[in-house]
Amino acid sequence: MGMIYLMLIVSLLIALFFLGFYFWAAKNGQFDDDYTPSVRMLFDDETTIKNDNGDTTI
Amino acid sequence: MNAKTCYHCGDSIDGIAIQKADKDFCCIGCKSVYTLLNEHHLGDFYTYEKAPGLKPNIPLQDKYKFLELDEISKRFITYEDDEIIKITLSLPSIHCSSCIYLLENSAKINPAIISCQVHFLKKEASISFNKNKAKLSEIALFLDRIGYTPNFNSKQSHKAKDKNFLFKIGIAGFAFGSIMLWSTPSYFGIAKDNKTFSDFTTYLSFIISLPVLLYSARDYFISAYKAIRARSINLDIPITLGIIALYLQSIYSIFTHEGPGYLDSFAGLIFFLLIGKWFQNISYQSLNFERDNASYFPVAVTRIMGKIEEIIPLEKVKTNDIIQIRNEEIIPCDAELISENAEIDYSFVTGESKIIKKIKGDLIYAGGKLIGQYITLKALSSSDRSQITQLWNEVKNKKEHHTLISYQDKISYFFLIILLSIAAISSCVWYFIDSTMIPKVLISILIVACPCALALSAPFTLGNISRILGRKGLYIKNTSVIEALLSITSIVFDKTGTLSDPSKNEITCLMDDLEIQEQNMLQNITRSSTHPLSKFIYAHFSTDLITQVKFDQFEEIKGKGIKAEYKGHIYRIGNAAFTNQKSGTDTTEVYYTKDGVLLQHFTFTSHFRTGISQMLADLKNYKIYVLSGDNDQDKKTLISLGFEEKNIRFNQEAKDKFEIINALNQSNEKVLMIGDGLNDTGALASAQVGIALSEDMFRFTPNSDGILSAKMLIALPSLMKIAKFSTLVLKICLAFSICYNIIGLSFAISGNLSPLIAAILMPISSITVVVLSTLIIQIRYRKTSTEKK
Repeated sequence: MGMIYLMLIVSLLIALFFLGFYFWAAKNGQFDDDYTPSVRMLFDDETTIKNDNGDTTI
Repeated sequence: MNAKTCYHCGDSIDGIAIQKADKDFCCIGCKSVYTLLNEHHLGDFYTYEKAPGLKPNIPLQDKYKFLELDEISKRFITYEDDEIIKITLSLPSIHCSSCIYLLENSAKINPAIISCQVHFLKKEASISFNKNKAKLSEIALFLDRIGYTPNFNSKQSHKAKDKNFLFKIGIAGFAFGSIMLWSTPSYFGIAKDNKTFSDFTTYLSFIISLPVLLYSARDYFISAYKAIRARSINLDIPITLGIIALYLQSIYSIFTHEGPGYLDSFAGLIFFLLIGKWFQNISYQSLNFERDNASYFPVAVTRIMGKIEEIIPLEKVKTNDIIQIRNEEIIPCDAELISENAEIDYSFVTGESKIIKKIKGDLIYAGGKLIGQYITLKALSSSDRSQITQLWNEVKNKKEHHTLISYQDKISYFFLIILLSIAAISSCVWYFIDSTMIPKVLISILIVACPCALALSAPFTLGNISRILGRKGLYIKNTSVIEALLSITSIVFDKTGTLSDPSKNEITCLMDDLEIQEQNMLQNITRSSTHPLSKFIYAHFSTDLITQVKFDQFEEIKGKGIKAEYKGHIYRIGNAAFTNQKSGTDTTEVYYTKDGVLLQHFTFTSHFRTGISQMLADLKNYKIYVLSGDNDQDKKTLISLGFEEKNIRFNQEAKDKFEIINALNQSNEKVLMIGDGLNDTGALASAQVGIALSEDMFRFTPNSDGILSAKMLIALPSLMKIAKFSTLVLKICLAFSICYNIIGLSFAISGNLSPLIAAILMPISSITVVVLSTLIIQIRYRKTSTEKK
């Protein structure tokens, strides 16, 4: 039976850890902007070089 | 016809396009930005969106000179060391993903910029740059040149408030999950055999539930308390009743060792309610409707002391200082005019958009906006923002008188009555069966009837609807605007700028081009007049070649024209009768004569947006009015578009419009006013719903409940339909939550409500309502979008 108390405490500690983690994330602006990153990741890293004719060379 | 559009900014090109690399551009500015981007290999800018560019500006070199003052620049600098400065700037013209691409790659164009990160929803950019390579004012100038004019007046956003809310949700969610986990054994009756274990978990749950009650649920208590004090009823009252009943019952059963109570349901309830609230709050952070009028104030002014010009922050302006104000800036304090003349627009203060002319020596009151060239003033008082803001607010406060009773508050009234009568009846019944059961039954009723699902249905439904409206070009201030839209009976349109597009007004010169000197005279004369037609003529010609002329005599005769005398010649600009000409057409026309000889003949035609008659046909359930500030030249056109003659009023000034709206209000019409923002401020404010039409979406629109993209005006009927659809969804949600309540109440009345049933019933009812509302709207919306294709 002692085990279940331990499990309970551990579950509480895990939950508290995630709560703290969530607070830390909220504080650091993780939830501030839920749009821009979704666009940003789609930009190509190496921008393709286009010459004036519109032909694409890389 | 396939009109040419600018490759950079997407504007249609009138006349000959400027070409480069097979691409058409509307102006040199657009072409130069294209060239700049291409040189730096940022051509991808044009691949993410079609014609994403903004018309670049050509700002004055010293426009941002005020940023060189430490006390001003430090307001924007978030970090500074010997080399790097980090700033957060509000760039209201950010509008698409290509903007993000361009700004975040701006380091490639401007070597001083180290990095740039865009916050799209807030329309802000955090830029770090090397301060040895560029000054802050140069960075601002650079952004302005590529089309992103920084706004240095916007206030800091309320970050702290949002974060508190996130914390509240976090705590409630944490407590909900934990308590439910620990309660699982008791749900299955396992814990009954082990008293010490169940006591341990219930006490632990109690401790964890405390922050939920005291911190997370606080807003509901406050709101209910406020409602009771104001002797009104809102949905937060039954919610608070339910919360308190739940909590008291739980504490009672915990401390009398009867069982674990309903703490799991309690935490879950708060958690779901907060999520609903959060969903309601995530609207358009970028469109700041509550923006302070003070954002039109100049941040700094140029003070002239003897021969020294220096820039000082507005707060430092003292009596008798000589200051300079630029075009479109607000006069910050009462002052005496030193320049020869000035034109001031007092529409913020008076609600009338009439330009007032002032001459040297006149007193100019604070709060007006300068139109035209810069002027020099002598300050007669120090600048007092609060005083002017107060002046502006007098116009604004008229909004207060028609507060809407929201759908939820109406329902909660009935809800509370029904709830209380059910409670009364069932306790009467139980009195005869078993009077000891009455407290338990009563509390169970309050707990289970807690209108959690109901409270969630409105924010989710209205929130979803407002997002869909936003996608279609109508951005509303808050969700209560949707409810207001439902009650609309009449729609009032402003003509100029709303039904017609003034920037596309066509001006035709019927005669040969003027000689330079005559054109110069024409521009000098028209510049001095505030008549809209004069302005058109003035703007029609290039302004580069003007040489200032001082007339011997100048006279403007209202409704006729202008007569000016210069070096013995008499110039007349005006209508046919005034200039002794024969009227040739029935459109608006202006003649320009010199000593009686006709030099030029202009005709004007209003450009109405396409699709208006179809829109009117779809809006036939509403009474439609048109208010126009112009003369009745467009009467025939308006009638042919389908407007009723008796509902068209011409020559309406801002104040007349305001009074007509008020008269409609008094005859119990619910008015939707669609106007073009600043000019119709008063009318927009007094209408049930005031929507400002905007070409570019970034404009400042005081007193409006929503901003409608000008392109989407003709979609108004479908927008109204979408708003109407929310009632249906709300009714379905209401039906569902009533079903759940009936099931719950049957348990409660029969005295069989156990924590397990509560723990299942409450989350399920909330979740189904939320899912239902979201699904119905999404499916319906997808349908309408395919219909269009």
